[in-house]
Amino acid sequence: MVERKKATASGGYIVMSVLAAIAMIGFGAWIYELVYGLAVTGMRNVISWGLYIFTFAYFVKLSAGGLIVASTAEVFGVSALKPLTRIGVLTAAICVAVAAMFIIPDMGRPDRLLNLLMHPNFRSPIVWDISIIALYLAMSVIEFGLLSAPPERQWRSLIKTLAILGLPAAFALHSITAWIFGVQISRPYWNSALMAPMFVVSAILCGSSLIALIAALLQRFAGFRFESSTWRALATMMAASLAVDLYFVFCEYVTVLWGVVPRDMIPYRMLMPNGKFGALTAIEWIVGGVGPFVLLVLPAARARVGYIVTSAILILAGVYAFQIGLTNVGEANPLIQLPPGTSLGTFTDGASVFQLVGQYAPTWVEYAILAGLVAFAVLVFMVVYRLLGVQMREPQSSLPAA
Amino acid sequence: MLKRWGMVIDQNKCVGCWTCAVACKSINNEPLGVHWNRVLTTRPDEDAPGKEPVAATAIDVPHGEFPDLELAYQPLACQHCTDAPCRRVCPVNATFRRDDGMVLIDFERCIGCRTCFAACPYGVRTFNWQRGQYGSDFEVGYGRDYRWNDRLVFTPERPVGVAEKCTGCVERIDNGQEPMCVAVCPAGARVFGDLGDPDSEISFTIKQQGGRQLLADLGTGPGVYYLPVSRPNKEHI
Repeated sequence: MVERKKATASGGYIVMSVLAAIAMIGFGAWIYELVYGLAVTGMRNVISWGLYIFTFAYFVKLSAGGLIVASTAEVFGVSALKPLTRIGVLTAAICVAVAAMFIIPDMGRPDRLLNLLMHPNFRSPIVWDISIIALYLAMSVIEFGLLSAPPERQWRSLIKTLAILGLPAAFALHSITAWIFGVQISRPYWNSALMAPMFVVSAILCGSSLIALIAALLQRFAGFRFESSTWRALATMMAASLAVDLYFVFCEYVTVLWGVVPRDMIPYRMLMPNGKFGALTAIEWIVGGVGPFVLLVLPAARARVGYIVTSAILILAGVYAFQIGLTNVGEANPLIQLPPGTSLGTFTDGASVFQLVGQYAPTWVEYAILAGLVAFAVLVFMVVYRLLGVQMREPQSSLPAA
Repeated sequence: MLKRWGMVIDQNKCVGCWTCAVACKSINNEPLGVHWNRVLTTRPDEDAPGKEPVAATAIDVPHGEFPDLELAYQPLACQHCTDAPCRRVCPVNATFRRDDGMVLIDFERCIGCRTCFAACPYGVRTFNWQRGQYGSDFEVGYGRDYRWNDRLVFTPERPVGVAEKCTGCVERIDNGQEPMCVAVCPAGARVFGDLGDPDSEISFTIKQQGGRQLLADLGTGPGVYYLPVSRPNKEHI
């Protein structure tokens, strides 16, 4: 079980101040974007979704691990995962909230956000996604609240119910997020029935990797000590979901590369070793795929924290690479690819306003907002964790009756 | 039958002069870098253009090797689909379809999420990434707001952060005029009319000459038809 050592507090405050500063810079960049319009990003008419959207999808995936780890522990009674329950639920809540926050800077008119409630189109996967994100966030916040009550006052039956509901909710969340891409008949690279299962598995994969990373950080800096059975359970979860994830991607490759249908092949050529996005494929398959898989299944390496954490970091990079490729390659090639192509929507003196194949590179504004929101996520985690840590040490402290 | 506005474009008559694209820019006061309507360079034998995406080198560059060269043009703007993917994905119903077939955007409702950009198979949408830049310091074109059912479907200066596209010159057709691209085409390559009326010129032309829709296999049901250069029963003038 968990055994706490005395945590060093002073270092934490420095880290938190730095994080708060980065978050403020990100907020400033967003204000800048609001003033000058989305033209300050690298997005244009052809590739009209960029860093915000692939990071949104990535954070949605990251939120999976937590809740799935927590629910698995509760529902199937996997005692090895029990110590991770609360951290898992907290991670889920923060990641899904930050994922939703990534949508805001992507919107051209964030001031009209309420239109989503006033005039929803229930045929739109965006409306499904917003609904499930809200539900998932509410569920994880409530579950976290219940778990944080002192043990003698915990409402066990409700926690159990929420844990059971957490699994289908996580599946729904990732499937729906996948369908934003998967249902688009105009994007051959996205338009696949495998998209939803692939998102679910890769969510379990990078979600459990994130939990492993957080657990390692807690063990290193917060005086937590997780037993080797917990590490082994996490490693098994990571290795299994990594194998299934790679298998799904492989199935897509076989189907498309065997068929050689031009409109399917064009995006895949970009992903081949000599293609424009070949590096992303290499990161996905080798750095974040085969590499960590070997690390996780080697008998010598199993249950050794260093190996598991290395794998987790590599996997997190691999899934992010996949997400970048998915968004960019999917949008880079319009179905009607005839010159001069699509107009950009902005004008730079002397440069062509048309693009045949989409070009996209994030600008400093996007990077600043990315850094800001990531820092915000870590900061919230640290703040909540500290408040909770106080509560854990003194369970009999005077809490308002819930 | 219900009125269903549509257009047929004869690729055999199109000379690739971009007059339609320029007139479209003027009437709708489109900023620099924004094209609702454009003329793509393609091949005469392109079977339902776009079926096999051909990334040709550049505009006006013929395909093939001298002396066996071939060239055709494909003007492209919103296809005003019957079952428009952009309308299906729009989370706030900002993109809507009128009973007469025109697919329009409510500039006051759009939240700028650009899911419609991902959804449109024809790549005809353009976004207001910034406050529009113009070559001239005065407004050109229709010059005033146009509302339909109290929804702002055209405004000369578009709000930043919303999507826009061809409106089919809705403010003109509602007043008995043709869309600007049809009115100005010097080659007379465009015919506008009621697809719902089997006796209309457009319905007759499509039936007689074998009009084809772009990416028809996707089932979006475009209201724009093309008469390819190579077609079996081509009528020579």
